[in-house]
Amino acid sequence: MAPSAAVARRRRERQVRLGWQVAALVALVAGMYALNAAAGKLVMPSPNDVVLASIKMWGDGSMLTGLGQTLTVLVLGFVISAVTGIIGGVLLGGFRRLGEILDPFVNAINATPGAAFIPLIIVWFGLYTEAKVVLVWNAAFFPILINTTAGVASTNRDLVEMARAFGASRVKLFWQVMLPDAIPSILSGLRIGAAVSTVGTVIAELTMAQSGLGGLLATAGNRFQMDKYFAVVIVLMILGTLITIALRFAERRLARWRVALNEER
Amino acid sequence: MVDVVAAPLIALDRVGKTFKDGQVRALDDVSFSVGPGEFVSLVGPSGCGKTTLLRLMNGLLTPDSGRVTVDGKPPQPGPDLAMVFQSARLMPWRSVAGNIEFTLALRGYNRRESRDRAMALLGSVGLRDFAEAFPHELSGGMQQRVGLARALAVEPRVLLMDEPFAALDAMTREVLRNELLQMWSRRRMAIVFVTHDVDEAVLLSQRIVLLKPRPGRIDEIIPVDLPEPRWQHDPRGNKDFAAIRGHIWDRIRGMQKDGAPLEELAGAFPRGPVENG
Repeated sequence: MAPSAAVARRRRERQVRLGWQVAALVALVAGMYALNAAAGKLVMPSPNDVVLASIKMWGDGSMLTGLGQTLTVLVLGFVISAVTGIIGGVLLGGFRRLGEILDPFVNAINATPGAAFIPLIIVWFGLYTEAKVVLVWNAAFFPILINTTAGVASTNRDLVEMARAFGASRVKLFWQVMLPDAIPSILSGLRIGAAVSTVGTVIAELTMAQSGLGGLLATAGNRFQMDKYFAVVIVLMILGTLITIALRFAERRLARWRVALNEER
Repeated sequence: MVDVVAAPLIALDRVGKTFKDGQVRALDDVSFSVGPGEFVSLVGPSGCGKTTLLRLMNGLLTPDSGRVTVDGKPPQPGPDLAMVFQSARLMPWRSVAGNIEFTLALRGYNRRESRDRAMALLGSVGLRDFAEAFPHELSGGMQQRVGLARALAVEPRVLLMDEPFAALDAMTREVLRNELLQMWSRRRMAIVFVTHDVDEAVLLSQRIVLLKPRPGRIDEIIPVDLPEPRWQHDPRGNKDFAAIRGHIWDRIRGMQKDGAPLEELAGAFPRGPVENG
């Protein structure tokens, strides 16, 4: 009796929440119409025009080309950041002395706004895909590195001692105890890294040779084609959301036990 | 000092150990031995180095003075000297069976054998149905059973137990003590059992090494000559049980008079390799 009542209440709460979310969306679109009517299409395009622009851009292939270019930079940059960040973090976290020596440098570079490196990256790597990938790497590397370092350094000492007492070698200790123990931290580093990668990709496409979705944004913005501009923004929004969902899914799969522990609390 | 007739399996000879670069003396001049198949308890207030002694016997620590030998050689950490801790120390990302397979792999079993063995052991501690569960889905008592199964799985010659039941509720503790006694009468490995529960020590062990704190030294080694097997003959109603228990408490009260505060007052011992507290 009681549990089913609780289930019903939770379902009801979900419905109410969804209702408000739909209402907020309607209000947002209505606001766009109102702003469009009051201030003209230069300030806010009519949602109808945004839909038409979207259909046109998907139809003539320009959106798909842009998305492809963006994904190339994004995926390459993120994967390289993930690999280097995790390896670096394992080294810094595993060899305490090394971590302590390099700590101020990591913090200093991490604290420097990523955009400060753009001129240097352009001088070193040019304006095209390589340079953009380097920019994304520069942005996403540090959150992954720092989270991995913290995860490996704060490994559960009780478990390490248990494994040592049963005679685990250093190699086994690392692969079977310390690394799995650090996986939740590594995954949260990857989640932040992926979000930062998206930002970095668009900044690279806006500031270097214009390409991809960022390039489309710049072109539409420069020509005051706000309907096209919003069509691109919507694609970026969906892309970012999908990446977040994918990573949350990965987190649930790989760190199922940690998710369960958190939900119990 | 009461010594066993058979050649000792574990021998400690005037063992001393200091922590924090020699500032804190944890153990001083500790000598005793454990025979094959013997059940010995280490009892004493906190700060007397009980856990340090276990680590020395496992080989996780080496003594600063004196000698620790197992089978005549300095001990090496490994499955032969299996440890059971106060908290179960299960890996939360591995299933219950996976946790047991971890130690079996260290013992050199291949995947198939270790699976079968893990299942058999889980059966023997009554957790066969929980093989695929994760540790957080188990109660504290069940987790501790898995910790025990993990240590037994590798068929150790010595079981080193560090207050394994201290964190459990009274009823679970009673059940697990009984299971431990039954298991010991079947397999007869040597057990070194650390506890600060005097009744528990008298109930379980054949000999009690009573330690006094700061630095940890041997106060007295007390033989416990009660009818076996104890899981069939609960000795707690026995007159001898009361006598041994009373004697140990007298000694502990004596330590208190010497200026060694008991458990509650003894927060000062350094957090070196001391478990949970």
